[in-house]
Amino acid sequence: MFIHIENICFTYSLGMPFETEVLKDINLEIDKGEFIGLIGHTGCGKTTLIQHFNGLLNPTSGKIYVEGVDLNKKGVNLKLIRQKIGLVFQYPENQLFEETIYQEVAFGPKKLGLSEEKIEKRVREALKMVDLDYNLYVERSPFSLSGGEMRRVALASILSIRPKMLILDEPTANLDPQGRDNILSEIKKIHYNFGMTVILVSHNMEKVAETVKRLLVMHRGEIIMDGTPQEIFEKHANDLMKVGLGLPQVTECMHKLKAKGKEVYTGVLTVDDAEKEVLKKMKKPLKR
Amino acid sequence: MRILRNISFGQYIPRDSLIHNLDPRIKILSCLAIIVSLFLITKYSGYLILGSFVLFSIIISKVHPKFVFRGLRPILFIIIFTLIIHIFMTEGKVIYQLGFLKITQEGLVKGLLISFRLFILILATSLLTLATSPISLTDGIERLLAIFKFIGVPAHEIAMMMTIALRFIPTLLEETEKIMKAQISRGADFESGNIFNRAKNLIPILIPLFVNAFRRADELAIAMEAKCYRGGEGRTHYRELKIKKADILTFAFTIIVTVMASIMF
Ligand SMILES: Nc1ncnc2c1ncn2[C@@H]1O[C@H](COP(=O)(O)OP(=O)(O)OP(=O)(O)O)[C@@H](O)[C@H]1O
Ligand SMILES: [Mg+2]
Repeated sequence: MFIHIENICFTYSLGMPFETEVLKDINLEIDKGEFIGLIGHTGCGKTTLIQHFNGLLNPTSGKIYVEGVDLNKKGVNLKLIRQKIGLVFQYPENQLFEETIYQEVAFGPKKLGLSEEKIEKRVREALKMVDLDYNLYVERSPFSLSGGEMRRVALASILSIRPKMLILDEPTANLDPQGRDNILSEIKKIHYNFGMTVILVSHNMEKVAETVKRLLVMHRGEIIMDGTPQEIFEKHANDLMKVGLGLPQVTECMHKLKAKGKEVYTGVLTVDDAEKEVLKKMKKPLKR
Repeated sequence: MRILRNISFGQYIPRDSLIHNLDPRIKILSCLAIIVSLFLITKYSGYLILGSFVLFSIIISKVHPKFVFRGLRPILFIIIFTLIIHIFMTEGKVIYQLGFLKITQEGLVKGLLISFRLFILILATSLLTLATSPISLTDGIERLLAIFKFIGVPAHEIAMMMTIALRFIPTLLEETEKIMKAQISRGADFESGNIFNRAKNLIPILIPLFVNAFRRADELAIAMEAKCYRGGEGRTHYRELKIKKADILTFAFTIIVTVMASIMF
């Protein structure tokens, strides 16, 4: 087990007039190699929750273990934890500050005290993981890039630390459809090619659902559903609607078919799957 | 990160109370009257009257005293420091001697008076900011400064600058915290090393912060222009400030108390 969370609660501005309880009794287990989507309505506490995973926030009560290490015990080396868990913030392009992309990506490894050669190796490796050509980009200023490219550089600057787990907060926010698909496919590649454990935070159901293998649904500071996307869309469609999260369009379509009396499987995520399912249930298969 | 979150500087706490509903100009002028009289008072009894007056205002403002007294924290050190300096450095009748350090009666009196002065000063001003929303505070300042327009004080511009600054302090703090967290996740370290290293470690925070702040200023300027902002000339106000009976009575009461405290006792 990689991360183990026991009954954590969290309140912002504890003891101030504006205190708000954001996380309520969260329990969670995450294994190595999982590919998880964390979705929920805006303001439900997703960002707050993931900041607990690498010790940026301390729970008001409850325990968090990373590889068996209790994060709130005195003397825990949080730096080591933060090397293991790479957290990519929302709009990571707003954190770039170096003169060149090379320096930007090398920032993490440098802080680890690695030698020049090792740093260069890691920069090459990280830029390759996000599909940026080393020779074309290293000398450029990060501020001269497009939004999507900046975001990849920011992602690379986390990957160069070689984390065992990657958490991405809304990696596709504010990108055009193509930029969004590119980032998602890179994340997929990183998961499948390097076996990276990934948590993808989003409120866009559509794309996340067909990308991840396990889905966590948050609502008002609680995890209300946990399962494969298929399971959740099949069994909990109504509850999802109730908490203000729509279904992917194809899934909704299948639910409507079912409501009309067609016995179709409603846990489909993509148009292709839906097509197969519908064809299967048609009395006379269509000729193509 | 803890530090950032504990800044309660000028934080407005909305309540429905006499103090909250007063005209901001009255509140600012009353505060000034208290400050002026603080420097005129020479005896304990005057401080006693003024101190009780401020405490009374805190109570009727319905703001928890905890928040008002929190304003004292940053200057507690200064208060203690001046107290010690005065106690040990004033010549006069020695009441206690410890080696070469001697405590004199005059020093004790003077030290305590100065501490009271700072104490009441801070309580009064934090009550002002706690019980007045930033918008009405700057509104009040603008109207008061407008009196000096004839000598060329740009009242509206000053007030607008203050409004914008006040509006963006929380935003900048929030953003600083976010950037700090992001850089920590990337391996930055803000807690160890010597002063030189620590200063160098601030670069990853400061550059993104400035870049974002300039971009935001640009956007704000464009937005203001799009809304046809053209300075204070001929501008009307959404909230008109009107002096009510309660304002006049309160102000009269404040003046009586402060004059009594500084002259009669
Ligand atoms: N620094 C803070 N201080 C006080 N309250 C906060 C702070 N950060 C977030 N909150 C509040 O906590 C709640 C949860 O915020 P959080 O950022 O975790 O939501 P989220 O699920 O990530 O939302 P989004 O999808 O919009 O990013 C919100 O109601 C927010 O107003
Ligand atoms: Mg968020």
